[in-house]
Amino acid sequence: MKLARALALALACSAADAPALAAAGPACGADLRGATRGLAESARYAVAFAPQGKPITVGRHFSLELAVCPRAQAAMPSTIKVDADMPLHQHGMNYRATVKALGAGRYRADGLLFHMPGRWRFIFDLAVDGTTERLTREVDVE
Amino acid sequence: MKRRVRRGLCRVLVALLVGMQLDISGAAPDSGLLDFTTAERRSILQHGPWPLRPARDPGNAVAGRTDAIALGQRLFFDPRLSADGTLSCASCHRLDAAFADGQPRSIGREVLDRNAPSLWNAVHERWYGWDGAADSLWSQSMRPILDAREMAASAAHVRRAIAGDAELACRYRRAFGHPPARDDDETALVHAAKAIGAFVGTLVSGRTPFDRFRDALARGDARAASVYPIEAQRGLRLFVGRSRCNLCHVGPMFSNGEFADTGLPFFVRPGVVDPGRHGGIAALQASGYNLLSRWSDEARDGAAATKTRHVDPQHRNFGEFKVPSLRNVADTAPYMHDGQLATLDDVVRHYSELNLDRLHADGLQILVPLKLSDPERADLVAFLRTLSDPTARAWRPPATAAPCRGAPRNR
Repeated sequence: MKLARALALALACSAADAPALAAAGPACGADLRGATRGLAESARYAVAFAPQGKPITVGRHFSLELAVCPRAQAAMPSTIKVDADMPLHQHGMNYRATVKALGAGRYRADGLLFHMPGRWRFIFDLAVDGTTERLTREVDVE
Repeated sequence: MKRRVRRGLCRVLVALLVGMQLDISGAAPDSGLLDFTTAERRSILQHGPWPLRPARDPGNAVAGRTDAIALGQRLFFDPRLSADGTLSCASCHRLDAAFADGQPRSIGREVLDRNAPSLWNAVHERWYGWDGAADSLWSQSMRPILDAREMAASAAHVRRAIAGDAELACRYRRAFGHPPARDDDETALVHAAKAIGAFVGTLVSGRTPFDRFRDALARGDARAASVYPIEAQRGLRLFVGRSRCNLCHVGPMFSNGEFADTGLPFFVRPGVVDPGRHGGIAALQASGYNLLSRWSDEARDGAAATKTRHVDPQHRNFGEFKVPSLRNVADTAPYMHDGQLATLDDVVRHYSELNLDRLHADGLQILVPLKLSDPERADLVAFLRTLSDPTARAWRPPATAAPCRGAPRNR
């Protein structure tokens, strides 16, 4: 059952989320703890994320551990916001996640909850030099 | 000899024909088990196993403690907690109605706005009340006690009711280590609520025909699974399939614990609407008894208060009501937040003939009219009826042991 749930978090790669990537991307957050690890990428950043403890279960709160990896000469973001929505349903979560910096580009996001099975999209907003860079990654949750 | 061979061939032929017929109708040959697909089986298995791991009322240090449960049980059934001595918690959460009350809208000192939800398995829920205005059983317990339209009591009244009864006062002292203090009504109220929360937290219903079917399916025991009525299997297939009921009614509780707009009118009376979850979040955040308050026995930044810290009020919450658990649903008529649907068939018919104009979805319609045929509706209802624990109907509160010894020290 646990294996099934882990498999349920099959990362669904979106074409819009797959720009030309620098070679550093795949290694970002490779040491994150957690049952599954996902990666959101842009030309300038990669954000690796892993649900903590159990795999994501519909209707249960979960936390993410994050690794933010600037590519090339990009600066480390000053803050990061984490959110999620169901693009097809056009609704978000019923909860607002909080993010705590752990140092060295690592963060922990708490208070997330997916209240329906289906395709969700993680949204990572990185604040960099007065602008926001948005990275997204879709996940399927059963 | 020839006759015996011919008879045997006939039997084989009949068996083959019967098998073919079953196969055509969607059941596996030679069994009363539908040919569930791998995806259907995976969905079905997610509704178990049952029972869940034991849970406790959050922020309630006496949850699970025998003395508190015994006190809470007495308080739950005691009408002296109400201002005029006529109403107890059990007035609207009746033993003979699955801890609901069988009324469309409950009747306190007047007819209220909402239907009394069942208390079975409440300890496994995240939010309490149709609007989720409480984040624990103990804080929820205070609402009807203090509500002027319900028990209309006060903290002072509750303290006096406990301190003035030798048995209650003794049990209070056992549960909390001291008698209710005369100069601290509020602590007595919160303690009473925590004792009631501890009692309600013990109300976990047992296994159901569905649970037995689900577990048989999980272990690949087709013989045991085929005992489950075929009409319930067809209803289950609809539930996890075309009807997509399991978008919201997920997991072993058959609820995601959240809130939804189901296209029902939410007028309380002409010109007055029930704001549902929108008002519930406001009430929760304004409450002095939520899990972030000084009355909670757990840390504000602890796991139990995660939901309260992170809940995010949104405009779409207006008119949303809690997605109820479907366990024991056949025993909790009438249905929906204000009891406007009398029977399970009415509920299924509502979703079958949904009025899309009442829904406020911007994107892909989550709820669409199911357009179920009469037999399909009957199948879905047959399935829902298998979610009841038959022993829950006969449940009676455990007899409390010998009278508590010792006179109250402080009135």
